[in-house]
Amino acid sequence: MKQKDLIAVFDNDRDLVKAIGTLKENNIPVKDVWTPFPVHDVLKMLGRESRLPYFSVAAGVGAVIVTFAFLYYTAVIDYPIRYGGKPYFAFPSFVVIIFLLTILLTFISTVIVFQVRTGLFPGKEAEVPVTGTTDDKFVISVGSKEGLADEIITEAQVILSANGAVEITEQER
Amino acid sequence: MDMYNTAVRPSLVEGNKSYRQVTSDIAGPAERTPARWWYIAMTVATLALLFGLWAMYVTVVEGLGTWGLNNSVGWGWDIINFVWWIGIGHAGTAFTIFLIVFRAKWTASISRAAEAMTVFAVMNAGLFPALHLGRIWLIFYIFPYPNTRGPLWVNFNSPLFWDVFAILTYLLLSVTLWYFGMVPDLATLRDRATSKIRKNIYGFFSMGWVGSVGNWVRYEALAKILGGLAAPLVVSVHTIVAIDFAVSVIPGWHTTILPPYFFVGAIFSGFAMVLTIMILIRKTFALTDFITKSHLDSICRVLLFGSMVLGLAYVTELFVAWYSGSEYEFFTFFKSRATGNYSAAFWIMIVCNAIIPQLLWSKKIRGSLGAMLVISIIINVGMWFERFVILISSLAQDYLPSSWVGYSPTIVDIGIYAGTFGIFACGMLMFIRFIPMIAISEVKGLTNQEKVNREDDNK
Repeated sequence: MKQKDLIAVFDNDRDLVKAIGTLKENNIPVKDVWTPFPVHDVLKMLGRESRLPYFSVAAGVGAVIVTFAFLYYTAVIDYPIRYGGKPYFAFPSFVVIIFLLTILLTFISTVIVFQVRTGLFPGKEAEVPVTGTTDDKFVISVGSKEGLADEIITEAQVILSANGAVEITEQER
Repeated sequence: MDMYNTAVRPSLVEGNKSYRQVTSDIAGPAERTPARWWYIAMTVATLALLFGLWAMYVTVVEGLGTWGLNNSVGWGWDIINFVWWIGIGHAGTAFTIFLIVFRAKWTASISRAAEAMTVFAVMNAGLFPALHLGRIWLIFYIFPYPNTRGPLWVNFNSPLFWDVFAILTYLLLSVTLWYFGMVPDLATLRDRATSKIRKNIYGFFSMGWVGSVGNWVRYEALAKILGGLAAPLVVSVHTIVAIDFAVSVIPGWHTTILPPYFFVGAIFSGFAMVLTIMILIRKTFALTDFITKSHLDSICRVLLFGSMVLGLAYVTELFVAWYSGSEYEFFTFFKSRATGNYSAAFWIMIVCNAIIPQLLWSKKIRGSLGAMLVISIIINVGMWFERFVILISSLAQDYLPSSWVGYSPTIVDIGIYAGTFGIFACGMLMFIRFIPMIAISEVKGLTNQEKVNREDDNK
């Protein structure tokens, strides 16, 4: 078992999708894929789905509760003042603030979770096997944690070049 | 990507471009030294900005007495310009929503610049109410935080307070949408950078983006969430601005039509500003393959629709003023606005917003860049006069003839307005100088690369 990955570079998304399809048919593990724009077929084939929307909904529900509690505490319990003869608990006015603060708190917390989960933050170094993935290069890395057997690497090389890889390199880990 | 090439709509990116060409076409202007006109424009914008800074200094140091406001007209140019700028801002968010929520792919090449416009316009808008506070150093009083004055919380029943949260949330969300939308493109610029300083600066802001599966899958989820949150927010912002007026008892303001009427007006003026900017950008930076005539045509159709809704709103207001039987309403709409002291502003508003845009029915005009540019500017002049009519005519002549006054702005009012143009122009010029004007990663998904591939196969 060699501790190395196979890095293949493609010139377009069509070849990339075909290659990933064939690799998957042959049970060869695809570690990661880098593309200049989101290729939805790839995301689907690798079965990757974000759970960010679930977090967002939870954060939204939390924000509604927190904002309502805050408004009720400040306007009714802590320092009740009559404004224009309206009741202390002026729900219709609260709705607007709850609406706005829910959006504010939800989007801020979602962005924070996005950054934590992707590990992206201002000033981070870009770690990428081949440059050009932000321009016109589509890159696959084949490999797994335990490393791959030599015959699998050879098989993967054949599949990748048959599907139009313009460059295949081995990368030691 | 043939699904976007239908018989109904011409291809969204012209000229059979490869991915590499798309990158260099769009990133190019941000990598070259700008032409001489850029420096001239920047100088003019900076002068306007300095004029504005002087006016703001006078406002803060001497007080609101330097403005043209008086006992009857308590909201003057400041609030007119506030509403005008924030309305312009709405279009950028509208484009983002069209792209992310409605998946209208034609907006992909416009949304970045439109969002830039939103960010600078909303910043300008926020300046006016802040300066109108008079004692701006006490601005923190408007935030509800535990304080030593009671603690005295804020009045949650006041639409003016709702506005604080609405504008603030809107500004933060539009900046976030804009910035996160450009992260993959900043990474593109980082990877193309030839000098170390460019590499470091773009590297810092691109947050280590590499375009891996983990990046994209969460990025797309984030875009949908932010777009989804922006959609109701943008409707609420101008609604709340309208409610600032509508909950008062001033004739001409106290109407239920105001929120939808304001919102449509906002989108209308914003789209006009987008059209102005797009016409100028596409020619100057040779981006005509990305911002095609078909794109401009689509914006014109939205403008046409907005113009008709707005025209209907004007007529509805007049009708209700008569039909309600309220003599004050009747006076404001028919005596003060349509035929009285403010009739010039009123008819400029009608002609610029409801009548001239009808020219866009003609396909010939929708194809003429000059005509579209002129119409788009006329619309924004008209929209400024709309806010002028709403504010000044209602305040200068309300219930008591004894308190009727005239209103005219002072040099300080004019200075602040000029200053906001300076901020806007400086911001947009810096944007086109340093940031890709079009979302590169979005547009790459729409190119004719597939067609190029097929032609390669046939060779």
